[in-house]
Amino acid sequence: MKDEFPSERSLEHPIIWVAVITGALGSIILLNAVAWLAFPLVLAIVLYYLVQPLLQRLQLSGVTPNQALGIFLGAATILTAIASVTILPALFNSLADLQNQLPEYWARLQSVLHNNLLAIEGRFHFAKKAGLADGLQGQIDHFVAGSGKAYLADSILFLVHWLPSLLLVPFLTFFFLRDGTAFHRLILRAVPNAFFEKTLLLFDRMDGQMRAYFRGMFGLTLLDTVSLGLGLWFLGHSAGVFGFWDAMFLGLICAVFAWVPYVGSALGGLVAVATCAVKAPNEGGLLVSVVLLFLGVRFLDEFLYTPMTVGRALRMHPLITVMMIFSGGMLGGVYGLLLAMPLIGIFMVLGQMYGEIWFDPRLRARQQARNLLEKRLASKDLEL
Amino acid sequence: MNLLKIFQTPPMDSQLQIVSGVPVFRECTRTELEALRLHLHERKFLAGEIVFDEGEQGEGMYVVISGKLRATRKGLLKKKTLGYIQVGECFGEMALLEAGPRVATVFAEEATTVLAMFRPELVQLAESRPRLGYKIARGVALVMEARLRRIAEGQPEEVAAT
Repeated sequence: MKDEFPSERSLEHPIIWVAVITGALGSIILLNAVAWLAFPLVLAIVLYYLVQPLLQRLQLSGVTPNQALGIFLGAATILTAIASVTILPALFNSLADLQNQLPEYWARLQSVLHNNLLAIEGRFHFAKKAGLADGLQGQIDHFVAGSGKAYLADSILFLVHWLPSLLLVPFLTFFFLRDGTAFHRLILRAVPNAFFEKTLLLFDRMDGQMRAYFRGMFGLTLLDTVSLGLGLWFLGHSAGVFGFWDAMFLGLICAVFAWVPYVGSALGGLVAVATCAVKAPNEGGLLVSVVLLFLGVRFLDEFLYTPMTVGRALRMHPLITVMMIFSGGMLGGVYGLLLAMPLIGIFMVLGQMYGEIWFDPRLRARQQARNLLEKRLASKDLEL
Repeated sequence: MNLLKIFQTPPMDSQLQIVSGVPVFRECTRTELEALRLHLHERKFLAGEIVFDEGEQGEGMYVVISGKLRATRKGLLKKKTLGYIQVGECFGEMALLEAGPRVATVFAEEATTVLAMFRPELVQLAESRPRLGYKIARGVALVMEARLRRIAEGQPEEVAAT
């Protein structure tokens, strides 16, 4: 009873474990079903947790919560206006350049793949017999000519459909920041007296878990971006492969991929290696160096960055983690991949606290006593 | 219409008036009390309903707004009544400092309304408004100091030591 964080015995109950996994996966299905709203909602929650410390800093300097929110909104509006005048045109230019260069990069990537497969065929008889290089080239041509075009059109339609929902993000974040405490109180009002203190503790833990996770992920992304960006720039600038900002941008993409544990890091590594292969197809040493860089950053992630930022709050057995991520991906696509871990973290706290409340006979007895008192009060003058 | 009324400060909410008289919050200004209001949860208890049990982990303190409560403790043979808690008094304030076991059971003698404040929320409040956090922590410390002094002088332990 004296522990700040009670024992996790309630999580040992198999029903609770099943409920935790079912709850997390069920939420992914639900979020996927209302994805148009869920996407800005999740982004707004992340922003809420990132902005909250800034508002607290402002309040420490003596301003009221509403004034702090006003100052933040003013600053955010000015920064957005400056960014839309300065950065956006440059970004659109870069995207236009990229669009022009895409056919060339695509051809180079195919050529790199083809040459490597030919090399394998030269070394292994079974590969030559299977016709790896020609087979893959045929598949790619078939895909590009047929369903590839349909996929591209679908993806563009998907983006057009989704982009307007992003306009909801600042709106939702503003209300979370302004009315978060009042909303919290409103929910708590519905909790019966007997469970009130424990429920409040549950809210506090859940809030702490989400805050630590989102802020930690933000810090981890920054550290990964800087490490990978600097590494890629150092390795690639002499060969003329990367400029400083190109390397940083690629580092950022790989760091974002790494939000999906295990699988994401590998995918990010593949993207970086593919980029190097396309930009400098004859630099075999560079490819090996990039792979080593990714392994090094993965090592730093595991033993230095993650303990420094996200911590070990969501530490689970890797098998369960990977199974949850793949199940999330199957049920909710990209959403499921990204949200599987934070959701299972939240449901673990919920399960733990629910177990503590549900398996506490005294609390249930107190609630039953309250129901009896209510009944007695209601029937006092009825002479039953 | 009296235009001067526009410039007059509106009267304080009746519940906040009671809170302002509680020793723990006595040093808080009106603005601070209004900020604190967002973190006070109103709970209504029926006559005979338990607020908290002896030995249960304490998470916060309560201020009585209306009604009356009784504090009891397990004795060798039967429960011993420590005393009654009336309107304007607070109980359970030790839990604002540390999550320890409650030293008494408190239940409502009659239909009672209380305002509850919880440690995790106080910690959050103190992070954004350290001056207010300091005043409340000092208030709790002063109540404890007075209680210890009474015990040292051989006077009986008061009810609020829950």
